Amino acid sequence: MIKAKGVYLEYRDGTKALNNVDLQIKQGEIVYIIGPSGSGKTSFLKLLMGIEQPTSGELTVLGKEMNKEHKKNIRQIRRQIGPVFQEFKLIPGRTAIDNVILGMRVLGMPRVLLNKNALEALEKVGLTHKAFTKVDNLSWGERQRVAIARAVARKPSLILADEPTGNLDVKNALRIMELLRSFKDENTTVIITTHATHLIENLNEGILLKVNKGSIQQESMGRDCNEKHHL
Amino acid sequence: MKNIIYNIGYFIKEGRIIFKLNFWSNILSLFSIGLILFVLSLVISGWRISTEVLSLIQNEAEINIYTDETIDEKSLKTVIERINSIDGILESRIVQKEEAYDRMEKVLGEDAKVLEYFDDNPFHFFIEARIDIEKIESINKEIKLIPNVQYVRDNREILIRLRSITRGFKILGTFFIAAVGISTIVIISHIIRQGIYNNKDEINTLRLLGASEVFIALPFLMVGLVLTVGGGIIAAVLLYTILAQLYAYIAGPLPFIPLPSFPIMVKSLISIILYISLFLGIIGSMIGLSSSK
Repeated sequence: MIKAKGVYLEYRDGTKALNNVDLQIKQGEIVYIIGPSGSGKTSFLKLLMGIEQPTSGELTVLGKEMNKEHKKNIRQIRRQIGPVFQEFKLIPGRTAIDNVILGMRVLGMPRVLLNKNALEALEKVGLTHKAFTKVDNLSWGERQRVAIARAVARKPSLILADEPTGNLDVKNALRIMELLRSFKDENTTVIITTHATHLIENLNEGILLKVNKGSIQQESMGRDCNEKHHL
Repeated sequence: MKNIIYNIGYFIKEGRIIFKLNFWSNILSLFSIGLILFVLSLVISGWRISTEVLSLIQNEAEINIYTDETIDEKSLKTVIERINSIDGILESRIVQKEEAYDRMEKVLGEDAKVLEYFDDNPFHFFIEARIDIEKIESINKEIKLIPNVQYVRDNREILIRLRSITRGFKILGTFFIAAVGISTIVIISHIIRQGIYNNKDEINTLRLLGASEVFIALPFLMVGLVLTVGGGIIAAVLLYTILAQLYAYIAGPLPFIPLPSFPIMVKSLISIILYISLFLGIIGSMIGLSSSK
């Protein structure tokens, strides 16, 4: 699913974002990426989304290489990803269902499936009653759930959620985390970045990626949490 | 392609939203483009009408060949045969002196009384030949070499003047087409760039969701086409009104000007303007889209 070998990322201004990242994530796994602000969490997601390309090293996402010379792969990879952005990136002035449908439109899904899938996804996130409300009139938490609905309605192989609980109260944050976790059961790989470690400390499944100053340390969660290993 | 067909309704809806986002600016652009295309259509009309009038006149181009008055019938026949064999002569016939008199009476109208002062018919018979105007120089040269030919009269100066007017329209038309084309392309590409800039966040989101560039571009392309084709329609309506007035004005008091048929003229000009507007819309939108990446 995702394979990184000696991946470095350095921005044009010289900022070193990721240092020698080696990791492997399999299909259907749930991965939590934690670390302080500026540690490189979002930079790693940017690599996975093809927003940035590795300065050096090998990165394979969904079986396709994500290097500068493989730019044509990026759009194909993005079409298999369900992204949940930190700032939602919903289209203003459109309803919740329009936003969810848009995520599917770009994939060329047949029209008959658009409404059905969108309503199913909104039901999963508990927003059926707000389907025809403009996203501008939704609360922060509701917008977050629309963004998740847009991601899952695409039936992606990989869900990338960047700080999906930012600015949410604990109750809503736990609800969002549980919701994202539930997609793992559909054999979808879920990668979540968060700086709210209290939300994941009681979880007993998945992979934990600790990011610090661009280095990533991989750990298993739960019972075998003490089996830490640096890859 | 399948994706485009599935989403035609979406593109139209998005195009409408983009148009409404800068509604008044777009409306003003629509009318500006309409007026620019109208000016262009007027120049093309002038060019077309003058070309057609000239070609009609050219088809009627004639020369009159005068021979020695005492020429015998056999020699006259030989002269006509020689004339008919010249390249560029379409047909020729003898105009007898009676017919020449009648013609002059018609030309003079009320002033024809002046002809009564002559005891005899003052006109001479002559040979009238329809010619290809482009070959007038060589025809003149060859005719003058025929024995018994004394004088050749043509309306070359008028035809040459008409030809230069048409050339002027052609140059002016080419210049206007270039100027109007460039300004329309600049306006359209600027509007498209503005639209893209106003929607840059949404466009970025679409790219992150894996949308193709065609999917992103189509609503903007539609706005560009609405503006130019809409402008073309405005220009066509104005042109129709102006031409109808012009034809009514010329056909009454100046019936001798052989104008081309109004329905054919209008139909072809409207098609030209709409095609030009469509072409400019596509080019302008493409430039706007590519320059905003």
